[in-house]
Amino acid sequence: MATEETGEHPIKSEGDIVTCRKLIRTAAVAAGFGMTDVTRIVTAVSELARNVYVHSGSDGVMRWEILYQSGKVGIQLEFEDYGKGIPDVDQAMEVGFTTAGTMGMGLSGVKRLMDEMNIKSEIGVGTTITIEKWGRAK
Amino acid sequence: MDENSLSVIKLKNILLVTVPDDPGDDIIHELQTKVLHAIEKYQSKGLILDISSVNILDSFFARTISETTQMVALMGGQTVIAGMQPSVAITATELGLHLGKAISTLNVDRALDIFTDNFKLV
Repeated sequence: MATEETGEHPIKSEGDIVTCRKLIRTAAVAAGFGMTDVTRIVTAVSELARNVYVHSGSDGVMRWEILYQSGKVGIQLEFEDYGKGIPDVDQAMEVGFTTAGTMGMGLSGVKRLMDEMNIKSEIGVGTTITIEKWGRAK
Repeated sequence: MDENSLSVIKLKNILLVTVPDDPGDDIIHELQTKVLHAIEKYQSKGLILDISSVNILDSFFARTISETTQMVALMGGQTVIAGMQPSVAITATELGLHLGKAISTLNVDRALDIFTDNFKLV
């Protein structure tokens, strides 16, 4: 079965969090990521999809792309929402920072699971978080 | 049984709670209330939370486990988490998750041993 190497899925309901996880698990396994990296990637997806659904106050979308580069395989994911924005991105990245009574591991924890992470946010316009993970190609 | 549903089985004085591989938020919410009500109904002294099928444990799930363990403790019960997969243990540690006061074991057999030997509850 041919696997989609790029795609997107809306984040509008609690159920979309599970759907995003399943889509990315399938894509990451097909791309050849090892079991531990698949778990890291899917866990990051869960955190960021929930971030959109719970915190942004708006709908959002997840986009992904599988990348190949000199013997390596990568996955790039983008989570975009049109919500209230993050007032202080540096503060949001600190361990223990939380506005929602969670453990405050969300964004700083996701960064530790990934190779790259970028946050662009504008108050009242929205937030886009991009993450990347690389592994050896099959 | 639906492969995506939660299973709660009474086993002598304790409960065996089995979590599906990719639990949605609704199942994780259900876990807390279902476990607490089953403890009251069966007068259980503790529970084994079998997560050997679980392949994703994020901060929301970890917080629910930690809180449930605390609630079970308030009702006088002990929680033992059994069977965390290696990739889940690696990811949970890197993410910075904590499971509160719950004890962990390699599998359900060892969890039963703990209830038998350490707590004399089974």
